[in-house]
Amino acid sequence: MSKIQEIKTAVETGKTKLIAGLVQEALDAGEQANDILAAMIDAMGVVGDKFSKGEIFVPEMLIAGKAMQKGIDVLKPHLAGEASVSLGKCIIGTVAGDLHDIGKNLVALMIESTGFEVIDLGVDVPANKFVETIKANPDVKVVALSALLTTTMPAMKDTVAAIRESGLTGFKIIVGGAPITQEFADSIGADAYAPDAGSAAVKVKTLV
Amino acid sequence: MIIIGEKINGSIPSVAKAIAARDADFIRNLAKAQAEAKVDYIDVCASVGEDVEVETLKWMIELVQEVTDIPIAVDSPSARVCAEALQFCKKPGIVNSVSMEGDKTDIVFPRIADTNWECIALLCDDSGIPRTAEKRLQVFDELMKKAKEYNIDPSRLHIDPLVEMLCTSEDGINMIVSVIKEIKARYPTIHVAGAISNISYNLPARRLVNQAFAVLAMNAGMDSLILDPLNRDLMGMIYATQALLGNDEYCMEYIGAYRAGLFGPKK
Repeated sequence: MSKIQEIKTAVETGKTKLIAGLVQEALDAGEQANDILAAMIDAMGVVGDKFSKGEIFVPEMLIAGKAMQKGIDVLKPHLAGEASVSLGKCIIGTVAGDLHDIGKNLVALMIESTGFEVIDLGVDVPANKFVETIKANPDVKVVALSALLTTTMPAMKDTVAAIRESGLTGFKIIVGGAPITQEFADSIGADAYAPDAGSAAVKVKTLV
Repeated sequence: MIIIGEKINGSIPSVAKAIAARDADFIRNLAKAQAEAKVDYIDVCASVGEDVEVETLKWMIELVQEVTDIPIAVDSPSARVCAEALQFCKKPGIVNSVSMEGDKTDIVFPRIADTNWECIALLCDDSGIPRTAEKRLQVFDELMKKAKEYNIDPSRLHIDPLVEMLCTSEDGINMIVSVIKEIKARYPTIHVAGAISNISYNLPARRLVNQAFAVLAMNAGMDSLILDPLNRDLMGMIYATQALLGNDEYCMEYIGAYRAGLFGPKK
């Protein structure tokens, strides 16, 4: 098994104690830092898939994310610049009137562990707060909106509308939450939809 | 968490029968089943007359070692028999057990002094099982003096505080809990051992009492459990408790044991 493959397996199986050593060995053996990073991001994609299919549990997903972070710590000094460590910024929050945070937090964790820098605005976030945060972070790549209640689905629609009306561009909007469907996402003009944290992490990577 | 599988014990009628008939497969199968339940030690107790006990243990220990390399808990009420039977074990295990009765520690401790063997020690002495927490801790102090004499590190000792039957206890397990906590406070690396099923003697639906006891005793600091590892409900309860006590990072042990089929729906 190649070192890169070993690193991939170590991230997938959450080997938090082994990963730093493996990354260092790969670097010493002349592997490119960017290739190692790509392998780890791939591994998190596999983890996200497995979670979506119900093959693994939340802690297994979290520990894989932790393993990846430990790998990145070793990798950081070898990457060209801070920018290449991050796939981009992602602003996430639960829409106005909705106080649910467990699902949103999981999605935030998963997106972060696939290599994004996540700005978590929390719950009950008014539409203008999203707009302001996008303005303050012109390099944002993804805006992720969560709604867990049928009664807050209209707030999600309003939030998407407010963001579009602001005229700000350069990012994609992804939505999710228990009552949300692909049809609803399409109908309110979102760019993407994901049914769970695992597929959200896979999906956001395709958006950038 | 240390799990010692208790199934190979001559005081269990079916095992006694197998020992009497020298039914090797019966013993091998019990060893295999417990190994599959991922126990840390397999207890081997002959429960026969002392004149044939060493040879019986030799036969049993060798059978276990034919099917697994999980270390053995050499179990005999006789310290002399324990000390003699250690030689049959391929790797260091646990002596089960000594106490401050007679010369037990003086027989076993020198034998394991410069080895990696561990040892279960009961908190009783020549006057029997002390009634109060204070007196049990006095026995504990004597025991630790002996251990120090033979240079046996506290981390190699599994102290059995001797849990009384719930049906005759006047304060549930409160006294035992205070003993466990005090022992752990004094020696953080020491193990506290207990047989899970003793507590429920002569009560109906014993399994429930055993499970509740396991949870509370673990919460107090018991970390070395002598039990039936084929009892799936009990095993699940123990792994869940470990996670709830914060001793199982990311619930990996719990999930791993579930995946290995140690508890949950049978696959």
